[in-house]
Amino acid sequence: MLKKTIISWCICLLVFEGFGQGISVRFQDSTSLINEIKEQESIPNLFFRFEFPFTEARGLFLSDSSFSWSKTDSSYISKPFTNGKEIDSLFLTLPADSIDLKFFVFEEKSDIKGVASYLETLHDTGDFILSEDQQRPEKDLVLMASRNHYEPLDEYRNKLMSDKGLFSVTLINILFIILSIFMIIFMVIFKKKRNQREYNIKAFENEIIEPLTTILFEKSLDEIKEMTPEMISSIYPKQIFQKRLFKKVLIDKIIGLNKKMKGDFKDKLKVLYKKFGLVEITKSNLKHRHWDNVVSGLVQVNEMDLTDLLPLVKEHSQSSNFHVRSQAGATLLNLSEKVDLKFLRDQSYPLSDWQQMHYLRIIKFVSSSKSLNIPILFSSENQSVREFGIKLVRMLGRVDLIEELHKINKQVLEEEKAELIKTYDVLGAHMEVDFINQCMTSDNSELQKEAIKSAGNLGNEESEKIILDLLNQDPDFPTRKILLRSLFKLNKQTFEEYILTHASHENLSIQAHLLDPVLNHV
Amino acid sequence: MKKILIIEDDLLISSLVQFRLKKDGYETVLVKDGNEGIDAIDHQNPDLIITDVMMPFRSGIEIIHHAKKNHPDVPIIVLSSLGEEEEVVLEAFNLGVVDFIPKPFNPNELAIRVKRVLR
Repeated sequence: MLKKTIISWCICLLVFEGFGQGISVRFQDSTSLINEIKEQESIPNLFFRFEFPFTEARGLFLSDSSFSWSKTDSSYISKPFTNGKEIDSLFLTLPADSIDLKFFVFEEKSDIKGVASYLETLHDTGDFILSEDQQRPEKDLVLMASRNHYEPLDEYRNKLMSDKGLFSVTLINILFIILSIFMIIFMVIFKKKRNQREYNIKAFENEIIEPLTTILFEKSLDEIKEMTPEMISSIYPKQIFQKRLFKKVLIDKIIGLNKKMKGDFKDKLKVLYKKFGLVEITKSNLKHRHWDNVVSGLVQVNEMDLTDLLPLVKEHSQSSNFHVRSQAGATLLNLSEKVDLKFLRDQSYPLSDWQQMHYLRIIKFVSSSKSLNIPILFSSENQSVREFGIKLVRMLGRVDLIEELHKINKQVLEEEKAELIKTYDVLGAHMEVDFINQCMTSDNSELQKEAIKSAGNLGNEESEKIILDLLNQDPDFPTRKILLRSLFKLNKQTFEEYILTHASHENLSIQAHLLDPVLNHV
Repeated sequence: MKKILIIEDDLLISSLVQFRLKKDGYETVLVKDGNEGIDAIDHQNPDLIITDVMMPFRSGIEIIHHAKKNHPDVPIIVLSSLGEEEEVVLEAFNLGVVDFIPKPFNPNELAIRVKRVLR
């Protein structure tokens, strides 16, 4: 112990060489520097050698091979050592006095200041860690991390999975990525299929045109009717004709052509439609769960006169879908042999203006060839259907149904009464004047106005009295104008007398308007 | 052989018309839009033009304008579903078309009218 202390002091004295304290920022003196080196197993490009003068040469330790002494001009010098931890043990094997410890940096002899400066530089670049820092790795964690290969511990792995938040975020991200990939794949497949479908449609169109044109021009209607299934199947290649898409394109072409052709071509197309077995496609369309397919089916029935499918069409007349309902109604009106209008009577949905116009157009067309049971509509529970029935009587000029209308005069609502009065007016139903007079005093202003207007054409003396009574009740200007116009039409003398006795500015203006031959009808 | 230019975007209709006219011994040229129509009028030297009104790129009215300006002697028959629209019919006749056949039409009737025009 005593020897160790002496050796340490000797070393300190040997290397101290007079440069005192504060050799660098990190090493306050040479002793702390030496002590630091002693704690290091190796320092890059720094080694040390032992040296002693010739005068102190002793054969005993010169023969020690572990030092590999070599002779210089004035001294003996050992081989280089790098492990600082060996300094003490090496000193123990040497005579304590006169032994000098020399440091070399990049194989150049360096004094203790140079060594300190070198170690400072190494420390700054991270290539050298002070022994006390090595015991406290958290001080330079990044440096430590950079020197050690990262391997997560098992316990941390479990910790990562047990973190619910992190786990759910990771899961969502993974699901999102998977979903995105699926969507992209789906889109690519969908687009490819659509392109393929469009390509096929074009190809089928080209395939269809020539044979269809040839049949239409080369064969008469009777010849087409007599065509056998074998002849029909030989028109188009079997493998193409069996495809549903081909049949759909064929249907579109036949229906498109049917709309644009006149004469026996239409009949030929209808026969061909049946011969090609396309009715089965129409049938499946009518039973389809998608409304657009059902509408297509209904159009096909309508265009191709497929009366056998009318029972299926009737099932759709009460559909909750507006388009299906309207098309089914139009098809039934168009194709039914007896248009009894029962499907319209039982309609639970209100008829829109468009539907009424659409049905009216068909009914006008078929009314000359088919018997229409219009009165059945008056018994409908649906107000809009009853109103439509009344309008039909007016539009079709069915004077024979005035009696039927008379029966419902008292049962119907105010709006329907207004329609009834319009109809009586158009049809010149003078026998309904009592009903009109009655409606002239209605609280419903629309009904009242219609009744006053009609009274001008259909009214009687009673109507005149009611008009004068109403005029005396100081009505608003539009009503006054209608009243005076009707009075003017009914009895010009009473009108003149009224104006004379009630010569207000308003009355005189209305009179001027009614007497003006240009403004009279405005 | 008389050459007839058919300008119609509906391939089936144009094929039907072509088929019918070929039966009567006419040479036919089919084009499917207004641009091709104008190009064909200038380069094919047709003896008669049959054109639709509603077509891609150029309307039938534009085609009639072009034909009457550059080839005033070539007769034009309009074949259109706009036959019920008085304005279109009047404009076409004002521009100098010889006939207006409304769709739906009968190809045999068209063939008769073509024969009459080219006589």
